[in-house]
Amino acid sequence: MHEWALADAVVATAARQAEGRDPSVPLRVTVLIGELQAIDRDIFSFALRTLAGECSLPADFFRLQTEPAAFRCRACARQWGLDGQAGLTDEEREAIHFLPESAHAFLRCPACGSLDFAVEKGRGVRLAEAGQ
Amino acid sequence: MSDPRPAGVLRRLAGVGRIIAFCAAKGGVGKSFCAAAAGVSLARAGRAVGLLDLDLSSAAAHLFLGVPLRLPDEDRGILPLPVVEGLSLMSAAAFTRERGLALRGAEVSDAIVELLCATQWGRKDALLIDMPPGIGEEVLDLARLVPGLEAVVVSTPSEVSVRVVARLLAVLEDIRVPVAGVLANMVRHGAASVRALAASRGAAFAGEVPWDPGVEGALGDAEAIARLESTRAVGEALAAILAEPRRA
Repeated sequence: MHEWALADAVVATAARQAEGRDPSVPLRVTVLIGELQAIDRDIFSFALRTLAGECSLPADFFRLQTEPAAFRCRACARQWGLDGQAGLTDEEREAIHFLPESAHAFLRCPACGSLDFAVEKGRGVRLAEAGQ
Repeated sequence: MSDPRPAGVLRRLAGVGRIIAFCAAKGGVGKSFCAAAAGVSLARAGRAVGLLDLDLSSAAAHLFLGVPLRLPDEDRGILPLPVVEGLSLMSAAAFTRERGLALRGAEVSDAIVELLCATQWGRKDALLIDMPPGIGEEVLDLARLVPGLEAVVVSTPSEVSVRVVARLLAVLEDIRVPVAGVLANMVRHGAASVRALAASRGAAFAGEVPWDPGVEGALGDAEAIARLESTRAVGEALAAILAEPRRA
């Protein structure tokens, strides 16, 4: 599953961040999951727990938070979200899941039809913060 | 806020021996053909080779090699599409098919990082990367993300190509990407200009690939591509490069 590759990257990054920290201070990492990439949250969460265990990170090390996708048209400044993009086929959604930038091949501004838009939020997986 | 994917890139490439980007300063010099031909030739010689098409908006490796486009299979990542025994391909075209893909710089970077982070290459003797022409995000991102990256620079003997490739070689030197060789492609009447260019920059001359009118007729058939005289020349050049240790 594609989710495992992303989880592997998240755990490797977080494990590096955790290195050298005071072990008595619990560290937790928030993982933002962009809505556009449509990660399977259950698979991703399971992969994170499994891989975290292999790195001796606690099972609750990661907090998952979904970030809604937000688009802005560079031509007409219209802003919209994924709910305004009905009509994507399953295969197009799957393509975007694998490679979010392929959205530029399939999506258009709902107001002016431009393909020149920015994904302002909710693209893919990011580590939001590291703290207590 | 941090991006976890660069750590994934290192892990996905851990089983790859040499990582060689086929670069050119301008389009039309046959860089994509050389990358595809090198992949086929090395695979037929028994090497395990991956081919990554990073020309996101104008992907063509699948057209040279006749790879049917489909969404990739998954196994803890995405699996490159099989081409021939020993050679597999990853391309943005697997996702977008023949649709146009117009991306801005940051989006190009994101797509490159995503492909590098998600693609499971497994054990490979070499990963060949078909770069878009020019000096942009793709070159800078690979230099940033891929330790051990090398470049094969493709030029025709044309003075225009040679002069702009000189700038590319200077940039590669600045960003510390070693040039494994400068390959003269589409050679009709000798490649003295390309040899001189390589010598002037302290780079190795990788060889001459003859102008080959058979390429067009072989398009879409990896076996036919493999039989071309030009493919043989590219393959010899790459085999010689792989036989030597990576330049520092």
